[in-house]
Amino acid sequence: MSARSTMETARAGATARVIDVCGRKVEVLESGSGAPLVYLHGFMDVHGLKPDVMAFHEKLATAGRVIAPAHPGVGRTDENPDIVAIEDVVFHYLEVLDALELKRFDLIGHGVGGWIAAELAARHPEKVARLVLIDAMGLFVPGQPTGDIFMMAQPSDGGSNVSLRELLFRNPRDALANQLVPDGRGDIDEELRRYQMLRFASWVGFKPPYFYNRALTNRLHRIAAPALVVWGDKDRMVPIAHGKRYAELLPGCMGLKIVKDAGHSVIAEQPDAVAALVTEFLA
Amino acid sequence: MSLPVQLYCWHFMAYPYLSKDFDETQETGWVTVPNSLWDRTKARGLYQEYIDQLAYGDRLGFDGMVLNEHHQNIYGLMPSPNLIAAALTQATTRGKIVVLGNLLPLHLNPLRVAEEYAMLDNMSNGRIIAGLAPGAGAETFNYDIPSVATREQFWEAVDLIARAWTEDGPFAHEGKWYPLRYVNPWPKPMQTPHPPIWIPGSRSKSTLVNVAKRGYAFFLSSRSHGEETAKSQREFAQIIESVGDKYQPFRMGILLSVYVGETDRQAKEEAREGIWYFLKNCLKGHLRRTGRQLTFGPGVPYIAPKDFRAFLEHSKPNSKLLGDADSWEELEKSNSIVIGDSETVYRRLSKLIEESQCGNLLIQFHMGNMPQDIVRKSMKRFMENVAPRLREESKVMYAERYSRELENPRAVVGAAR
Repeated sequence: MSARSTMETARAGATARVIDVCGRKVEVLESGSGAPLVYLHGFMDVHGLKPDVMAFHEKLATAGRVIAPAHPGVGRTDENPDIVAIEDVVFHYLEVLDALELKRFDLIGHGVGGWIAAELAARHPEKVARLVLIDAMGLFVPGQPTGDIFMMAQPSDGGSNVSLRELLFRNPRDALANQLVPDGRGDIDEELRRYQMLRFASWVGFKPPYFYNRALTNRLHRIAAPALVVWGDKDRMVPIAHGKRYAELLPGCMGLKIVKDAGHSVIAEQPDAVAALVTEFLA
Repeated sequence: MSLPVQLYCWHFMAYPYLSKDFDETQETGWVTVPNSLWDRTKARGLYQEYIDQLAYGDRLGFDGMVLNEHHQNIYGLMPSPNLIAAALTQATTRGKIVVLGNLLPLHLNPLRVAEEYAMLDNMSNGRIIAGLAPGAGAETFNYDIPSVATREQFWEAVDLIARAWTEDGPFAHEGKWYPLRYVNPWPKPMQTPHPPIWIPGSRSKSTLVNVAKRGYAFFLSSRSHGEETAKSQREFAQIIESVGDKYQPFRMGILLSVYVGETDRQAKEEAREGIWYFLKNCLKGHLRRTGRQLTFGPGVPYIAPKDFRAFLEHSKPNSKLLGDADSWEELEKSNSIVIGDSETVYRRLSKLIEESQCGNLLIQFHMGNMPQDIVRKSMKRFMENVAPRLREESKVMYAERYSRELENPRAVVGAAR
């Protein structure tokens, strides 16, 4: 199957196109050149909040050709009515990879994108050259539940989004946190992206299993590829115990790298530090 | 055939024993409100008191009693309204028993709902009105139902239940959400073709279309009435016509709260504590901005993104909801809490009936922590001094406007054709 591009838009830093995947539209941002590097996004991320790449992705593009598809129902990617669980999301991405004719690539995932990356790599280790997980959900760690992003995304006292900032950033009062998730009525396009992202995430995180797959723990042994696990030290959405567990379970793991002064949105809060860790690992 | 407006007595069964500092100390009255606040001693006899109030309403001559389903909150203590309905089948003899409704996506199997309503219909000699509802945001949190799927699940369940009541079993249901090899409920409901089905909703067009084409009755769940309610009614009437049917007032219902006193002033004095308890405590987490509102928003993303965009473009995050009212004047504007003497209540309801053209008025008499004796006095004054006039004039109005549409005797409760 070939990737037919139906829309080309030049954007600062990246090229956006919408490809056809089995009759569904999938938006893909690309930047940089060299070996393919598939990036699966999280919440405060490209697609999840912004239509374009952010500082972190620009730096990442120095390490290869970054290919960042938007999850089903997010940005200009169609919703996929077959998706009701993580298994279906993984299958969707197999079809996306087929359409992009990507046989082997580096794979990076953040947050819910990290979970998808881990599931994909456990099923198809032959496709993944190297794996990077950044504040990734996916594991069941007893006594260390992920945050309830759905309840925390409900505004309080009219338009306050402090609980969502509390969950996703190192400090809800930080300027960056308030810029990305403001109180009151913010930028409508960004609010809509946040909404689309929660809608997608609700399929895999609202009901039990809440952003985890118990079976994943005993499947990660199949991933022989070199792996890196990166975590914000103040992640309240996915506790750092999950990062430690990933680092223990991935046979090729070079270690857990903890980034200081960062919450779950580590790629937005510490783009230089995370990009340096990842590009060094991929060098 | 001419029928008057149908007057139903609604009870939420609120938890009435919260301390005065509840609003200051608790973020919400829903889902996470700590149940350590439940007082076992005070709560002894509470359900009996509430059931007795509804049975009293039946004796006073209301056309029916209304119950609904809510979970893990202080607003309504009926996680299973069917249990209260079962009690009412034995404690009452004449009025309809409206369960508005069972929250279908929360139930593992719609067959269970079909079975329980069929039992209740037999136990009540055919007095059940079967409300079916998808459940709002708070309930999706309570039962871990991703709200993005609830509408699809809901309509599949509605159609399965209606089919289970009308088609002889056993048959197989090939559904996406509720596949069943054997659908064959015993008992069958008593009413034919089945108990009337009422479906609550806001003004979503797809809901109105789905209700209209199935011939069910629509209950507008809005808590402010006036031009918007009339607009919804016109919209629903148009949609009914577009599917080849005719609107008549018993196809639609609205909810309001009423307190009838001897004088306007005495009414406010007597109702004050209960009403403000209802607004500030019971609605906290639901129809109030203060605290965390769970009913609607990005965490319960059941509406399509394009509809959410329209919502973002046309709403203000700080616009007041019913529970944000700070004065009697603001409450009066909402037009859904009507307080006064018989004359005042009659005047305002008469206008509402005329303007809304809704034939089912579902009226909440017990508000918050209102003591039982004053609730009963208000209900009695209503039935003696307000209801007769509303019934008389609405009967004339409906006969003039809807004589042909009302030829079908089942029309009165919006039954399926």
